[in-house]
Amino acid sequence: MNERRSSIFDGVLGDNAVLSGLMVISPVIICGNTIKNAEALICAFSAITFLSVLIASFVPKKLPYTVKVIIYALISSIVYLPVKNAAEKFYPDSITRIGIYFPLLAVNSLIILQSEARFFKMKKPRMLASLTFYIIGFDAVMLLTAFIRELLAYGTIRSKMADVNTLISGLGEPFGGFILLGLMCGAYRKIRSIARKEKNTGSDLNVSGK
Amino acid sequence: MLKKARKERLIWLDIMMTLMALALMSYFYYGIRSAALCGICVAVSLVAEIISLRLMGRHFKADDLTCTSDALIFALMLPACMDYSIAVIASVFAVVVAKNVFGGRKNMIFSPAAAAYVFVLTSWGSKLLMFPEPHSRLGVFEKPDTLTHSASYSFNISGKLDYTDFEVLLGNFSGPAGSVSVLLLVISAVILIFRGDISAGAFLGSIVGTGLFAFIAPVGSSREDSLSYSLVTNMVLFASVYIIADKRIAPKREYFAIFYGLFVAVFAYTLVLTTAKENAIVMVSVLFTPVALGFKNLEKKISLAEQEELVKETEAADETAQEITEEAIVNE
Repeated sequence: MNERRSSIFDGVLGDNAVLSGLMVISPVIICGNTIKNAEALICAFSAITFLSVLIASFVPKKLPYTVKVIIYALISSIVYLPVKNAAEKFYPDSITRIGIYFPLLAVNSLIILQSEARFFKMKKPRMLASLTFYIIGFDAVMLLTAFIRELLAYGTIRSKMADVNTLISGLGEPFGGFILLGLMCGAYRKIRSIARKEKNTGSDLNVSGK
Repeated sequence: MLKKARKERLIWLDIMMTLMALALMSYFYYGIRSAALCGICVAVSLVAEIISLRLMGRHFKADDLTCTSDALIFALMLPACMDYSIAVIASVFAVVVAKNVFGGRKNMIFSPAAAAYVFVLTSWGSKLLMFPEPHSRLGVFEKPDTLTHSASYSFNISGKLDYTDFEVLLGNFSGPAGSVSVLLLVISAVILIFRGDISAGAFLGSIVGTGLFAFIAPVGSSREDSLSYSLVTNMVLFASVYIIADKRIAPKREYFAIFYGLFVAVFAYTLVLTTAKENAIVMVSVLFTPVALGFKNLEKKISLAEQEELVKETEAADETAQEITEEAIVNE
């Protein structure tokens, strides 16, 4: 049996929040159809999640789980307010287009569920590093999805015309986002399993070599 | 097992033969371009199937040739002047996303052709629903000067068709390349039902549902026109034969299959009546996959219950037989 040791970089490739855990997928599917939307969501998600988890890590661990979850939600709601104001200044159009999915970022599963299950079990410096990589993992997937969808659905890259002959406008719709994300998840898991198999084979060979 | 596999191949062969007849008719009306479109869809599907099966770690078998019949069904739902690039993308989508992502041939959730059609409808709706006139024989790379709306479009809007019954019967009206040849479709349906290649229950349910509702709530002012034209327009007949009655998707028991066909037809007709959506039956057949899956689950539960009951009855009969034998021995 090969027990894989967790690393602080897991959030980017080894255990990506979106592709592996299928967390925070609704903004990726619904709003991640242009790079500008993605940028607005990335900034808001990164700020809200990082600050909320950081502040929430000071909540006493002895409190009952139900109470702690409510406190986490309250903290992220408070963090959301200044982030929303800032985002409205930088991305006024995108925030309107994103609609309800923007406030929903405040109660994303990385803050509400994963903080308790994963981050708060670590020491603070390791927790912050791991959290940062999880956020980077989400941002990368969001940006990649938005890039592909914008290019293939609208024939543009960050609203600038690109030379694409056949546009698949369905990819800009939520169902297109579902399909693309599903395919990306499948590809990610396949690549990950191949990489882990190779790693295990390599380590087995090393062990037998000794 | 061998018999089942052989049966699957025979079904594919029968369906391919009827589809080839429809493709021939579309060649007669629209020229070599419609044949080229069919060829491209079939070739791309075959390549996509081989590659995706290889990626899934499986080998390509003769039964996997069903992807070609799905491709031909899809190609016949397109206008003859459809861009080749769109046909290629949609064919890959049908094989990879609509079929193999869900587990392949043995785990079909919805018809790959119908799913690809809905995909094209959402992405290139304006190109999908504009058709060349019949007899505008197009070259391989030729585009028609003028495109028209389909006969289904005019029927949905006005409740009338400006074609004679003979023209309607022969499919001499604007619409998808291969799905308007009514006479040929009726013959295909009869052949496929008698050879057990399609679900008779689902086909009848779909036709009866559409016919019944077209008569009760007509599209236009005339009930007779609504009844006859509702069955031949909006790809109702084509979808009933090749999509709704597809044995891989429809429930196995005819009783459930009738209801499945009926539900799809009634919902699709309501959509046509209220929103004048063209070819709603194809979209609805994709949307109603949970209904088909629900019926299949119910079938499994019923078979399981029947088996359990049979086992209990056999055990009871054995016990009775044993008691009688014991009594007979005691009496002796």
